[in-house]
Amino acid sequence: MRDIVIFTKKEWLEAWRTKKLLLILTVFVFFGILSPLIAILTPEILKSSLGDGVQISLPEPTSVDSWVQFYKNLTQIGIYLLAIFFSSSVNGEVKSGSLINLVTKGLSRSAIITSKFIMILLLSVAAILLSFGVTAAYTSVYFTDNASPHIFLALIPFLVFILYFSSIIILGSTLFKSGYLSLLFSLLMIGLMYLMNIVESVRAYNPIMLIGENVSILEGITELSEMNWAIVVSLFLSAACFFISIKVMDRKKL
Amino acid sequence: MSILTMEKVTKSFGNQKILDGIDLSIPKGSVYGFIGMNGAGKTTTMKLILGLEEMTEGKIRINGEAVTFGNTKTNHHTGYLPDVPDFYGFMTAREYLKLCGQITGISKKVLSVKIQEMIQKVGLEDNKKQIRTYSRGMKQRLGAAQALLNEPKLLICDEPTSALDPSGRREFLDLIASLKGDITILFSTHILDDVERICDQVCILHKSKIVADGMLKELKSRYTSPQIEIQVDQESESFLVTILNQLIEEQKVQSYLKENDAYVLSYTGNYTELASRLFDQCKTSSFVPTLFRKVEPSLERIFLEVTK
Repeated sequence: MRDIVIFTKKEWLEAWRTKKLLLILTVFVFFGILSPLIAILTPEILKSSLGDGVQISLPEPTSVDSWVQFYKNLTQIGIYLLAIFFSSSVNGEVKSGSLINLVTKGLSRSAIITSKFIMILLLSVAAILLSFGVTAAYTSVYFTDNASPHIFLALIPFLVFILYFSSIIILGSTLFKSGYLSLLFSLLMIGLMYLMNIVESVRAYNPIMLIGENVSILEGITELSEMNWAIVVSLFLSAACFFISIKVMDRKKL
Repeated sequence: MSILTMEKVTKSFGNQKILDGIDLSIPKGSVYGFIGMNGAGKTTTMKLILGLEEMTEGKIRINGEAVTFGNTKTNHHTGYLPDVPDFYGFMTAREYLKLCGQITGISKKVLSVKIQEMIQKVGLEDNKKQIRTYSRGMKQRLGAAQALLNEPKLLICDEPTSALDPSGRREFLDLIASLKGDITILFSTHILDDVERICDQVCILHKSKIVADGMLKELKSRYTSPQIEIQVDQESESFLVTILNQLIEEQKVQSYLKENDAYVLSYTGNYTELASRLFDQCKTSSFVPTLFRKVEPSLERIFLEVTK
């Protein structure tokens, strides 16, 4: 436990001094600002792009459009940016040799994995919560409707998915020597989950469901309880990825 | 009493044997030179001792405790200075040493004083400069500070001077020499001058095996015979060769060879006796050597002898 605290402090200092923390938070705040803005501007952009000759009637944007944009940004760009940010988390340090001094001083290898996992999770969740807060604030200013009653409930499955995705990133970064390979591993895992979603009987258990039904939960169309199996499977797989990472690290040449 | 023992240690990568049945025992308090050509397996041996690599066969013990691959407890007895130490560039020297000290479990109160001591000992400045701005020599000093921070019983240095400039190298060797007696030092290198300067015991690793091992003085007497270097004018060379051949016949000289313009002869008897005999012969043949000196046996000669 002592080793975890010491190494997590080092990870935090690294994120702060190398400006990684600032970069991640800035990008996600940008997403937060952009989501309601795009929802408002989309009808205007469409009208102006079609020109005055074409007469179309577009429905007035609502808060739901803002949240649709928010989840679209996170699932189509955000999670991949997280994968890019953290793909060299473990293998980068193994490659540089910076862990040798610390391991030969008695730092346990499991503490390295645990601290890195905690840091990836903390930064990712902080970035998403910040983005969520900014979107929620701007949405409440721009849209005064009651179309999005369950914004907090809708975020829960997404955060569970982030926990799972963090464990995939840490596993890829421990398994592979290069940052590119570990990034590819994370992307392949996402691709695999999307592919498995084709099979209807698997869908309820597939972690990818946790980032696909958020708007539906937000509107009250889907119940959070419908995600229970996907949440359980995600938690189980997260634990499995985490423990495999520790086992791999224990046998790794430094 | 040995601080480190290796028994029949073998390490293979696939079909290639890097170390083949290595037996080694390092007495407490010694400065032990671990010599070998590049790629001889020195770094692999260091990594096995530190539990960073897995042995194929054999046993390693530090202070009586067995070394295991992975999280070996024996690392609490050791300090390690790699050839090219890598640090966190975003930290200052003090922050890095604090991190190392916390991992080794040094109490907060003691650690602050100890860091100050170490920074002074290795000649670094206690300032806000981040490590990424450090020169190669400064990084090596910081490496020494982190290796010594936990007052290790065994300090393992893996080619620590190979990338230093002459003054940095001299300062680093002075630092290592100042530690003599307090801790046992395993000093791996291919720079033989460094070993001769600070080590009292030596082992030579060649083709996966230890080919020589012991006190430096013993090795010198075991593997090399004393030599005399003698040089004469070109016109007197034939006279000198005649004299040397005669001395070989008389078994006063073992052998001789011509190196550049001088003749280096190996002998077994008394230096004064042979030297005066040579001078007498030269005088009789009416020529005077332009160079005459006793050659001390060197580690380089031992190395060349055992790795032939």
